[in-house]
Amino acid sequence: MSLPATETKAPNVSFERERGVYAIHITRDVAHAVVTLEDDSLRSARILQVFRVLASAEVPIFLTKLHRSAVTFAFAGPDLPRVEAALKTVGVKSTARRDLAVIAVRAASMRDLTGVMVAIADGLYAAGARLFETGDSHNSVVCLIENERADEAVQHLKSAFRLDATAIREQNLSSEAAV
Amino acid sequence: MKIVVQKFGGTSVDCPESRLLAAKKVIQAKMSGLSPVVVVSAIGRKGKPYATDTLVQVLRDIDPQVPPAPREQDMMMACGEIISTVVFAHTLQTLGYKAIALSGGQAGIITDPEFGNARILEIRPHYINRLLEQGYIPVVCGFQGITQPNDEYEHGAITTLGRGGSDTTAAALGVALSATAVEIYTDVDGIKTADPDLVPAAKTLEVCTYEEVAEIAHQGAKVVHPRAAEIAMDHNIPLWVKSTFSDAPGTRITDSTALDAVRQRLTGITHTGKLVYIRLEIENAEHKPHVEREVYRMMARAGVNIFLVTFSPKGLSFTVPRTLYPIARDLLDGMVVPIALEEPDSEGKQSVYYIFKFSEGLDLAYSVQRPLLGAVEKHIRIVDVPASVIENCTMVSVIASGHRRVHGVLAMIYETLLNAGIAVHQTADSEMSVSFLLSESDVQRAVRLLHERLFEK
Repeated sequence: MSLPATETKAPNVSFERERGVYAIHITRDVAHAVVTLEDDSLRSARILQVFRVLASAEVPIFLTKLHRSAVTFAFAGPDLPRVEAALKTVGVKSTARRDLAVIAVRAASMRDLTGVMVAIADGLYAAGARLFETGDSHNSVVCLIENERADEAVQHLKSAFRLDATAIREQNLSSEAAV
Repeated sequence: MKIVVQKFGGTSVDCPESRLLAAKKVIQAKMSGLSPVVVVSAIGRKGKPYATDTLVQVLRDIDPQVPPAPREQDMMMACGEIISTVVFAHTLQTLGYKAIALSGGQAGIITDPEFGNARILEIRPHYINRLLEQGYIPVVCGFQGITQPNDEYEHGAITTLGRGGSDTTAAALGVALSATAVEIYTDVDGIKTADPDLVPAAKTLEVCTYEEVAEIAHQGAKVVHPRAAEIAMDHNIPLWVKSTFSDAPGTRITDSTALDAVRQRLTGITHTGKLVYIRLEIENAEHKPHVEREVYRMMARAGVNIFLVTFSPKGLSFTVPRTLYPIARDLLDGMVVPIALEEPDSEGKQSVYYIFKFSEGLDLAYSVQRPLLGAVEKHIRIVDVPASVIENCTMVSVIASGHRRVHGVLAMIYETLLNAGIAVHQTADSEMSVSFLLSESDVQRAVRLLHERLFEK
């Protein structure tokens, strides 16, 4: 069997995603609620009640976190009146604010990376941004901070992860809440 | 020339009968006018004589105290695919087809020099194209490449691509060769709504988006490696998951914009990870960010990746992989974070020392460190940061495209778990999934119940 000789006509192809952080996405007009719960045997049932009334009020929620004496979640800013009304029907103590933004730091295989969280925390601290909540998935770490600090925070994060302006993307939940 | 890349995993090539079935898939493609390029994994899984783990064990057995050098370990691991490739090419030859075995380097796969987890930098497809033009069926080693032949330090060294490397090879070759499709052959007939070993009623999905597959793969399903899905997604290469052992059509993986029906839907249930959930109580909200940053810094220095991070006014919680928990505990227990106060407190103390306390015990660092701080307690306030730990956790995820725009998903899942008496330690969500941290002992029941509620009713 004679084998063909190598030749170099076709173009080479490069394609795998870079290691590490490659983008930062900002989502504006995000609200956040803290529902206070007693740390007792009814805690889980109360959490379910909260989820149910929000579902009945047709409010999508995200960044949901369970705490010993609270459940917290984020939602689109324009949904705030509906969330407040829904929570009143459950009779739980709650607070909510609508002046927040979500900063999502994106990376391929985020959970295989170490040190991203500390870089983010340092960046947010340098920007004077208070972190209300955080979440993470295989391709991102998201941070809920005050909207007024978002631009400065992004500048610090951009510099920490050596990203250029093309890596920054922005959206506003005001225009999407009705979806 | 219409090229199809067909990848066969370990179970598809682990015995002559399976190899014959795999070879028939290649011959079918050839007979239908396509030009197949085959990618194979090593023969069999752990315990089999030519499996990757077995080969590495040969090196480890030489002296268990001396881990193999990454470069030599990669050379050893690459042997598994080389053997498999030669065996498969010879199988095709015995069936009367012109086949040729190629190592990753011969196939033009150039990687960076990160041994054990190399990234493909480029593929030089000229040689494969030439072989195809001459009617050959190239059989390429999955999972491997070589560094640049002119690399300053590593001249064409053999590298391996890390977990799921053969899927990555297949997807990358698909892109480089402008293939009409990349077919991943496995022992299940497509992407399922749950692990069929746990849920016999799991259904095969006809179609999935790249994003769904990447999410499913990241969240624990082992059908397609996420890197392969990401390459296919970034270059819009049609991907299929099929069974070597049946003629079922399999699952087509495609671009979400081409498929309105899957933009908002529940795709499946996965479970992943042996995790430990750690909760720290930090009493002073003002000092909390500083203490938290020291925790992150310490974990980063030790290479411990943390996730499911959750804030509360007086607490911080996160999970670590169970294998890394002893390192995390050893680092944090007894760790002291000093904070200087801007003004002396009511007792005239000018600093606060936060000391992490995992549990009382003679052999733990806290119990040694804490009494030492007694000497400075007159001038410095000492504050414990108690840590509570839930071991043996696993994350169960419901893959739900667009769930952030749909109400009620969380309520439905939480209700199902609560009604079954399954404790949810924490939740997390991404754009594509909702995840729950559960005790490992509850996982099987949780997956079955959620599947029944979400996919069978």
